[in-house]
Amino acid sequence: MKPFPYAGPPELREPIVQALTRVVDPEVAMSIVDVGLVYGVTVTDHAAHVRVTMTSAACPVADLILEEVENELDRVLPQGCRLDVELCWEPAWTPEMMSERGKLFMGW
Amino acid sequence: MPTAIAKPTLMALVAMSLLAAVIGGLLRAGIAWPALPDAAVIGQAAVAHAALMMCGFLGTVIAIERAVAIKRRSAFVAPAVSGLAGALMLGGHAEIAGWLWSFAGLVFVGVNVAVVMRQTAPHTVLLLAGALAWLIGNLAFAVGASGVAVLPWWFAFLVLTIAAERLEMTRLMRRHPVAQPSLHAILIAMVVAAGLSAADAAFGGLLYGAALAALAAWLGIFDIARRTALSHGLSRYMALCLLCGYAWLGIAGVAWAAMSLGLPTRDLALHALGLGFVFSMVMGHAPVILPAVARVKLLFGPWFYAPLALLHGSLVLRLLGGLADADLRTAGTYLNALALALFVMTVIGSAAAWRLREAAVRIHLTTSR
Repeated sequence: MKPFPYAGPPELREPIVQALTRVVDPEVAMSIVDVGLVYGVTVTDHAAHVRVTMTSAACPVADLILEEVENELDRVLPQGCRLDVELCWEPAWTPEMMSERGKLFMGW
Repeated sequence: MPTAIAKPTLMALVAMSLLAAVIGGLLRAGIAWPALPDAAVIGQAAVAHAALMMCGFLGTVIAIERAVAIKRRSAFVAPAVSGLAGALMLGGHAEIAGWLWSFAGLVFVGVNVAVVMRQTAPHTVLLLAGALAWLIGNLAFAVGASGVAVLPWWFAFLVLTIAAERLEMTRLMRRHPVAQPSLHAILIAMVVAAGLSAADAAFGGLLYGAALAALAAWLGIFDIARRTALSHGLSRYMALCLLCGYAWLGIAGVAWAAMSLGLPTRDLALHALGLGFVFSMVMGHAPVILPAVARVKLLFGPWFYAPLALLHGSLVLRLLGGLADADLRTAGTYLNALALALFVMTVIGSAAAWRLREAAVRIHLTTSR
C-alpha cells in the first residue's frame, strides 16, 4: 500500500518516503508517515509541495515537526528545488489514516 | 513589546515563579533557607507556594503552550498576564494577582474556544473544560476563598488538561467502546466534586479522591504509554514518566479521600498529585515541548533518567516514609527540590550538548567538502 499520494519524478518517490519516515513523533513512537500525517507530496520541475496535518489543533509541536520535515526533505530534493510544507486541517485526521505498520504497533 | 524582549521576560517570570514556589515549599516543610536576601519576599514565597506553582509556573507554561499551538499573538496575553501575576504575588499583592490570574484565565478560555472552533473533538472540549476550571479556581482565589475551595479547581485544571492530551493519544489505539464515556463520567465526577468541596469538604473530597483514583485506573488501562514504553529512546522515557505519574495519581486519589475523612494525608494527597503526577508529566514532555515553545533544542540521552529517578525516589521517601517518620519527610522534601534543580540542570546541559553536536557536525561537513 502506498504510504501517501505522490505525484512527481518516480526516482524521487522512495527518497522522499524515506526522508519523511525519519520524522518521528516521540509521543507515539512512530514516524509521521506511519501515523498518517502526510496527506500528499507533489514534486514539479522546481518545486515540492507537501501537505501535512496534526492529530490535534492544540498540538504545540506542530512547527517543530514541520521544520523537521523541511530539514529531512532538503537532504533528498534536488538543489534549487523550492520546498513548501503546508499544515492543513481538512480532512481531519482519523485513526484509519495510520499505516498498517502503525496500526500493528498500536495493537489494532 | 518586541518579541526579543517579551520572550526572555516571560521566561524569567516563569523561572521566578518556579524558583520561589520551590523555596516556599521547602520553608513550609520546615527546612531553613541558608541565605535570606530578602526575608519578606522569602516569607511570601512560603505563603504563596501553591499559587506560584499552580498559576505562576504551570498556568503560565500551559498558556504559552496553547498560544504556540494556536499561532495567534493575542493568545500570548494569557501567559504574559499570568507571569506578571506571579511576580505581584511574590511581592505580596495577592488580591491584584488573583484578579490578574482571573483575567488570564478568561483570555485562556477564549483561546481554548478558538481551539474547539478549529477542531471540535472530545479532547479539545476537555481542554476548554480545563481552562474553565482554571478560571473558576482563579476567581475563587481572587475573592479570598480558602484552599479547600480553590485547590480542587486548580488541580482540576491540570488534571483535565493532561487527561485531554492522553485522550487524544488513545485515538491511535483500537479504543474500547467504554473508554471515552467512562473517562467523561470520571471527569464530570471530579468537576462536581471540585464544586462541592467548598460547601461540603468531606463529601466533596471523598468524591474528588475517588475520581482521581478512577482516572489513574483509566489511564493505566487505556493509555498508549504501556505500549510506547516498549519502544526506545525519548519515546520510552516519556512513557515511563507517564506510567510513574499514573501510579502517583492513584495514590493521590486514595490520600485525597482519606484527607477528607480527617486522616493526616494532606501532604501525601497534594504532592503525590502535584509532584508525582503533574511534574512527572512536565519532565516527560519537556524534551519535546521546550524546543517547540522556547526554540531551544535538547540532546536527549539516558541522563534524563537521573532527575526522574530522584524525583520518584524522593517522593517515596517523603510521602510514604514520611507517614511514619517526620525526618524522612523532611529529607524527602529536600530531595524533591534537588530533583527539580537537577532536572533544570539536565535541560541546560542537554541544550548545550545539542549546540556542541551541531557545531561539530557543521565543522565536519565544512572540512569534508
